[in-house]
Amino acid sequence: VNPAPPPAGRRTSAWVLLLHTITFKQARGLVPVVLAVAAGRGLGDGPATVVALAVGITALSLLWAAISWWRFSYADGDTSVVVTRGLVSRSVRTVPIDRIRGVEVEAPALHRLFGLVRVRIDAAAGSVVGGDGELVVDGISRAEGDRLRGRLLARRVPVGPAAGPDDATPAAEPEEEFTRFDPRWLRYAPLVGGYLAVPLAAVGALFRVLDEVPDRWRPEFGEPDLPAGTVVVLFALAGVLLVVGSVVGCAAVNWGFRLVRRGGSLIAVRGLVTRRHTELEIDRIRGWSVSAGLGMRLAGAARVSALVTGLGDAARRGQLLPLGPRPAAWSLASRLVDDPGTLRGHPQAARRRSVVRACTLGVLVLLAGAVLTPLLGWWQLLAAGGVLTALGVPLGRARYAALGHAAGPRSFAVRSGWLVQEHTVLQRRAVVGWQVRQSVLQRRAGLVTVQACVGAGRGGYAAVDMAAAEAAAFARAASAPWASALAR
Amino acid sequence: MNPLPPAPVRDPAWSLSAAAIGLWLAQGVLGTVVYGLAVVLFIVVVPADAGWLVTVLRWAGPAFVVCYGVVAIGVRPRLRYRVHRWEVTAEAVYTLTGWLDRTWTLVPISRIQTVDVTRGVVQQSFGLASVAVLTASSQGTVRIPHLEVDVAHRVADDLARRAETVRDEAT
Repeated sequence: VNPAPPPAGRRTSAWVLLLHTITFKQARGLVPVVLAVAAGRGLGDGPATVVALAVGITALSLLWAAISWWRFSYADGDTSVVVTRGLVSRSVRTVPIDRIRGVEVEAPALHRLFGLVRVRIDAAAGSVVGGDGELVVDGISRAEGDRLRGRLLARRVPVGPAAGPDDATPAAEPEEEFTRFDPRWLRYAPLVGGYLAVPLAAVGALFRVLDEVPDRWRPEFGEPDLPAGTVVVLFALAGVLLVVGSVVGCAAVNWGFRLVRRGGSLIAVRGLVTRRHTELEIDRIRGWSVSAGLGMRLAGAARVSALVTGLGDAARRGQLLPLGPRPAAWSLASRLVDDPGTLRGHPQAARRRSVVRACTLGVLVLLAGAVLTPLLGWWQLLAAGGVLTALGVPLGRARYAALGHAAGPRSFAVRSGWLVQEHTVLQRRAVVGWQVRQSVLQRRAGLVTVQACVGAGRGGYAAVDMAAAEAAAFARAASAPWASALAR
Repeated sequence: MNPLPPAPVRDPAWSLSAAAIGLWLAQGVLGTVVYGLAVVLFIVVVPADAGWLVTVLRWAGPAFVVCYGVVAIGVRPRLRYRVHRWEVTAEAVYTLTGWLDRTWTLVPISRIQTVDVTRGVVQQSFGLASVAVLTASSQGTVRIPHLEVDVAHRVADDLARRAETVRDEAT
């Protein structure tokens, strides 16, 4: 077999020059330097300086964008993708197509104006020396992006009769819709820490920018004396803003979320400002986890992530349902991998251990208080210790109630966590090893932590504090016969 | 005190090279000397009348070094050697590590991705080497510390060869 001739390099659209100039993509790193120089040297005030600065930065940005556009090319050959770039040090990265785990096509707002997309090619971590396992082709037309995605993914999974890559029409395959985001689900957004953080992050960024502005350009604020009523109103207002901000943030990220199955892939599309298109290969899905924070559990909400082998940035890309009611989450999850059924609770000793652990801090504070109250009169410490200890009991019980494990015919499950409860189900074939851990205290209590090692998600999922006598049987039931080496 | 309940799972069959005790002893001596020097430095450099905290530390420092020395030299090496075990079966690699807290790790040979042999500076002077067996999971790494060098190489070669022949999808 003759080696295939090197494929012709393709270029990105020239419009990307304009795009990167507008967004100062490459020159962005220079702005703080320029600001610092300006502040240090004390440039003259006046419109001339500002205009000169703006023109200078824009020109620099254009130059930079032009160079990187000129030196960038990509080629999708028969067996690999090659991306060439760099002015002084030419870098050529070659990724074998069978190592590609996923292709994401995203269209940020500005890209959409020009009809362009950005394609992220996710290669297996560690396959490229010195790389972060991701290739980015920024600024190609929508059609070319779809062609690239179709080609890279079709190469990997031969589906159906052999068809030429050119007459493969992706739309011809039937689609099956799994989930569609219901705008009513936005009401859960204020209960999710991540979305609440969106408005806070915005405020934080604003303050950072204000901090960067030199003092003399900042308007003078006095220290205003506010009556108590105004403070209350302000806090209420801030609360309302926080809620509204989280809903808006959630809507922007998840707008029009749709999960469909097409051929052997799951495709998730979402986003208002930046449209994201993520494709996961169903063959690589090893399990799922349904997780819910404290607030989400009260409201009956949950989220679903797929655990996929060799997926970079798994927390974001693996999301199958970003936010939704619990029944929807469970019905979606159990379509992927069978739920092994009702969880077995953990023994009473685990409850004692959980409560003792939760109360430890409170008891320590209480003891310190008991010593220091007669010596220094720090009765507050004593009171705080009492409150912490009292709170520890329900906390420990709640943590214990979250524990559970189960092994079914094709899959197994573990559950733990109170602040964020995570119920994980994995296929039996997903297990690449078992780790059984026992501390001195666990040994006395007859408990053990059994962790399944998997090449997906976090890498390990543990049944915490299960009965020591059940460990070997659970490992055997949740994986293959090799695990019987654990049994006595 | 009640007697400790038995181990939750089977213990692997083989113990490490006896030279490992010497190595752990050397590490304990080294650690004790380093801590001891730090405490001596503290007592020499910091004036004795610099407040109650310094007075406490002048007593606590040496006490800590003595306790550490007793544990790290007198107790830990032998206890570690008693606990550490390893085994290669027809289908899997199995280890037990730790001294107070214990960890049993089992990895099937069909899921092995790479096998490494490493020799640290101290290990070399004791004629020892460690074997690390890596899988697709960041958590599922088996480390067999302190085997005799030729044993380590033989085990690594054997595992790598068998992993080639029985490898399934490995993820």
